Amino acid sequence: MGRRFLTAEDVRRAPGAELLIEADTVVTPQALEIARAAGIQLRTEAGEWSSSAPERGPDAADAHELPEPEGSTGPGTTVVVTVVGRNRPGVLAEVTGALGAAGANIDNISQKMVDSFFHLVLTTTLGPEPFAELKARLECLGGEGDYVVRVMHERVFSFMHRV
Amino acid sequence: MSFTDQEILETIRMVELETLDIRTTTLGIDLGDCADPHLESACEKIYAKIVHQARNLVSVADSIAADYGVPIVNKRIAVSPIATVAAASGAEDLTPFARALDAAAKEVGVDFIGGFTAYVHKGFTRADRALVDSIPRALAETEHVCSSVSLATTRAGINMDAVNIFADAVLETARLTADSGALGCAKLVCFCNPVEDNPFVAGAHIGVGEGETVLNVGVSGPGAVRSALARLGPEADLVSVAETIKRTAFKITRVGELVGREAARRLGTVFGIVDVSLAPTPAVGDSVADILELIGVERTGAPGTTMALALLTDAVKKGGAMASSCVGGLSGAFIPVSEDQGMIEAVRLGALSLAKLEAMTTVCSVGLDMVAVPGDTSAATLAGIIVDELAIGMVNGKTTAVRIIPVPGKGPGETVDWGGLLGTAIIQDPGAFSAEGLRRRGGRVPAPLQSYRN
Repeated sequence: MGRRFLTAEDVRRAPGAELLIEADTVVTPQALEIARAAGIQLRTEAGEWSSSAPERGPDAADAHELPEPEGSTGPGTTVVVTVVGRNRPGVLAEVTGALGAAGANIDNISQKMVDSFFHLVLTTTLGPEPFAELKARLECLGGEGDYVVRVMHERVFSFMHRV
Repeated sequence: MSFTDQEILETIRMVELETLDIRTTTLGIDLGDCADPHLESACEKIYAKIVHQARNLVSVADSIAADYGVPIVNKRIAVSPIATVAAASGAEDLTPFARALDAAAKEVGVDFIGGFTAYVHKGFTRADRALVDSIPRALAETEHVCSSVSLATTRAGINMDAVNIFADAVLETARLTADSGALGCAKLVCFCNPVEDNPFVAGAHIGVGEGETVLNVGVSGPGAVRSALARLGPEADLVSVAETIKRTAFKITRVGELVGREAARRLGTVFGIVDVSLAPTPAVGDSVADILELIGVERTGAPGTTMALALLTDAVKKGGAMASSCVGGLSGAFIPVSEDQGMIEAVRLGALSLAKLEAMTTVCSVGLDMVAVPGDTSAATLAGIIVDELAIGMVNGKTTAVRIIPVPGKGPGETVDWGGLLGTAIIQDPGAFSAEGLRRRGGRVPAPLQSYRN
């Protein structure tokens, strides 16, 4: 195992104008500053040193290999859209219009009315537009005093309600 | 997979109206390899390692919150007990280590970093003593650092000498942070039987049995349990009450499990545990006291409160254990007095005394938490309160903790307001009689017998 850290003290003790370290060595900000000031080059076997991705330890060795969970955020993902607000003409058209523009398919739709308020639930399948963009597109609809849209990934519901 | 409207609306209601949230995602980072005989180098390494490992923590947590629509309130870091990391430096004043932790926490944008910690339940090393002596300055000079000290375990007994030293440290911390209502003491806790994977502050740290990095999650949701019990109504029997709590805890924990697994995956590290705890906040409705009152006591602290809390804690654990493959941390119900509107109200009305609170800690998951006492409370009285709580943990083989705040210039019945999550406390009266004799004796309480449990 090579050197895990390079500190300011290590750089001060360095004999030449070049310091050979491992690629995954963590160089402290102070060491980097002193090396720069003294014109010492930090090098690895492969070339100039640059900060690497963190090494999470032996237990985490497989963690990078984990697949995206079922129903990731790409096409085919089920997304639940809920809309709550004061009833007025055009709400459903606005919401479904936005879903249509995103290429999302509506699998199920239901609405309940309590006094003049509606509660709309749409289960949809993502089309080409990724989850984050669809979410942004829908959640900016409506507004205060009008209606609020909430877009949630299907996994939250499957974790909560299915064993 | 299809869901009924009822299921969908239940989830939305829990998040929107009942303040269900992920209380914390805590990244544990082992700092064993940061030990260095040169103090400055050790601090440099600590800073560099934490920043290197935790750089993406906040952005990953935020991205998960956005994707799943469940708020993740806090992002925190827990590190190895600093006393073990600092030992090689031979330093007497360990404040520089706290500053390094604080700077790293600021750099990566987390709200707290726990691990300014020593295990002294059997005895002190030089570094342990240096750490406990450095606590007041460390907490006064930093913003995000939390400190914890293990003073007792069921297998080792209680270290009374350490309790005395700790009580002095609490008083000194209160003095140094007097301007902010002794806020430093809110970041300082002592334990009997500390857990190595606690994601909640102030006791968060990563024990020596943990790996290089690990992602732990703490869920919350007193509001969701409260609403479920309110819907159940006052006529249902206690089995139905337990069942309702269990089902709600199950659902809350499932969300924690989902977020924990996903956060670990996105960070490329190991998913450790879900801490299934009902952690109240000062927000209206997000209260454990309200739950106890819905179970059937007129006010928290009334006769029956300990039973109600026992039922609650156990049902939460049962629901949580079914919902997650890895439950850990403290898991149960927290009763931090100042952070819970219902508890504050109970103290204000005289329903909840310090003595009753101590009784409640025999069945809750932590102990005396966020309790304010007068600023002129003696070290002997503090030590007495602490050692009583440790004895409960030691004999019952459970974790107990004390986070007590002697507020300078305040007497019993007065109010101190820390704001934010820490809330408001009414100063409680520890009584007029002293534990000076115990303090003077010092020494250790031998470990208790594990059999003949009557």
